Amino acid sequence: MDSMLLDIEKLNVTIDTAAGPLKAVQNVSLRVAKGETFCIVGESGCGKSITALSLMGLMPKRAKRRAERMMFDGTDMTTLGESGMRRLRGNRISMIFQEPMTSLNPVFTIGQQLTDVMRAHSRVSLAEARERAAFLLNKVGITNARERLGQFPHELSGGLRQRVMIAMALMCSPDLMIADEPTTALDVTIQAELLRLLRDLQQEFEMGLVLITHDLGIVSRIADRIAVMYAGQIVEDGTADEIFGNPLHPYTQGLIACIPSPDHPRMQHLPSIPGTVPPLIGGLKGCHFRERCPYAMPSCMEEIELKGHEAAHRYRCILPAQTSAAHAKMAQGEQVHA
Amino acid sequence: MLQYTLRRLASAVILMLFVSFVAFALVFTAGDPAASIAGEGGTAADAERIRSVYGFDRPLVLQYASWLGRVLQGDLGQSIYFNQPVTSILIERFQATMLLGVLALCFALLLAIPLGIAAGRWPNSIVDRVALLFAVVGQAMPTFWFALLLIILFSVTFPILPTSGGETWRHMILPTIVLGYFAAPAIMRLTRSGMIAALETDFIRTARAMGIPSSKILSSYALRNALLPVVSLAAAQFGFMLAGSVVVESVFAIHGAGRLVWESILRSDLPTIQALVLCFSMFYVVLTLVADIINAWLDPRIRDA
Ligand code: SF4
Repeated sequence: MDSMLLDIEKLNVTIDTAAGPLKAVQNVSLRVAKGETFCIVGESGCGKSITALSLMGLMPKRAKRRAERMMFDGTDMTTLGESGMRRLRGNRISMIFQEPMTSLNPVFTIGQQLTDVMRAHSRVSLAEARERAAFLLNKVGITNARERLGQFPHELSGGLRQRVMIAMALMCSPDLMIADEPTTALDVTIQAELLRLLRDLQQEFEMGLVLITHDLGIVSRIADRIAVMYAGQIVEDGTADEIFGNPLHPYTQGLIACIPSPDHPRMQHLPSIPGTVPPLIGGLKGCHFRERCPYAMPSCMEEIELKGHEAAHRYRCILPAQTSAAHAKMAQGEQVHA
Repeated sequence: MLQYTLRRLASAVILMLFVSFVAFALVFTAGDPAASIAGEGGTAADAERIRSVYGFDRPLVLQYASWLGRVLQGDLGQSIYFNQPVTSILIERFQATMLLGVLALCFALLLAIPLGIAAGRWPNSIVDRVALLFAVVGQAMPTFWFALLLIILFSVTFPILPTSGGETWRHMILPTIVLGYFAAPAIMRLTRSGMIAALETDFIRTARAMGIPSSKILSSYALRNALLPVVSLAAAQFGFMLAGSVVVESVFAIHGAGRLVWESILRSDLPTIQALVLCFSMFYVVLTLVADIINAWLDPRIRDA
């Protein structure tokens, strides 16, 4: 248990809206070990990003966070005030975001923004901080690192800006990096490069990595463990091998069926799960996936708990594992014939 | 940056030439200048004599060139009313106006920007409400009325400050407050909305995620972005305070340029009016230039555009 870097138990985030409280995150528990890559997957609007932001204590103003336990490397984050959290952020836990074009401050140089991060957390001279910044820009694959320090964000492409963000997140050698859809806004070739870069850096810096994405294709290349989120809840979690080899929740099965596979590279339409994520205002009863689930039945109206073995594989569905697995096989068969 | 400055400077010079021509041509739009100088009792012969003395009978371009040459040497002509060189009158008047304008601008900025930051940092809080009230009052209250109110309060009821004149620093306090308070609300509102917008940006979220202290986020990361539009507004306000301080200068009996404009129009002192128009428009050109350069210094994207 002490090897756990992040240990979150029953995290709830509620946002006050004009239409009533919105339960964006419901009883989410997750554990990330040191050096592990943990992926949170789901469509947009599932509560992935808000989960990540609330781990950092950066929820929107009207959001309230409640959790039974929020431990980071032995520290109870619920007892840390804003100043304690600030000292963790960017220092031991850092975060990168989806929008490389707007995530850097347009009026300060790259060098200034990178060195500021380091100087916010340790007493280093400007020269040392610049040294570190140049070293990291180099590490993330940016050439002419020293000249780049004097440039402004608008002088760089989206891909380069995201690399700068990664370098910024590494300034203080964090133990954990949270990456929220880090490659979604970029084009495909750059996506692959950046993903490889993140994986390499993670190994080199021995960081835990929490990667948030809607793209199971990415997850299959990088994840050690996976949590699938749907409408504010974790519907399935476990090791990557288990989730991909033996998906048990109909939602996960649907997502996997939607991965464009190399065998059929260009299908006419990418298959997708019909329907959309239900609105979370007021709170949903029973299985949240009910309206889109092909196997839904009356008993799915009951409250359903995660079942299975915590460390290996859990899922939130009333179907017995065997039935579910058989569905998955059938669905795969269908796809091959499609 | 240097390149931008030079480019901007070049266009300012062109603009100045154009404006100076307009100021020059102003004399002719007001009717026959020789006749107006000769005055009501002047004969046609007088006008003729004046015409040749002043050179009104030469081609317009030549007149403009020689006028511009004189202006560049600091000769703005002779005031008809004072019978003195316009330049020396303007220097004397502009000293008071400039002092008042700069003081008022500083007062407005010192009042409006911190208040705007606080209001933008805590929207809908007590601070924000107070700031809003202050802005509404500032915009609704006529300047002369506010000036009289302050005089009654600080010079009559509690006689601690002089009512009028511009001799000592104590004379400048009330006019500064009146003029500055008039300019402050717009600056405050713009700072506030700029701050609110800036604090919601992705790059502020990044800064917070990187553990940048909130004091630094507020005073540097967000403020620098929020201030960009404020710089242009403040420059325009400053120009307005210089040219539009007639009311304040009149109420406090300060012999400034604002009052001179008004007086000169009443006296149809054409050379003085022309010089004032020229000076004020030059000020505007310079202020815009300065604002643009400050903005380019604050925002690298402008430099490269
Ligand atoms: S609980 Fe019912 S509705 Fe929900 S995923 Fe399972 S079968 Fe489908």
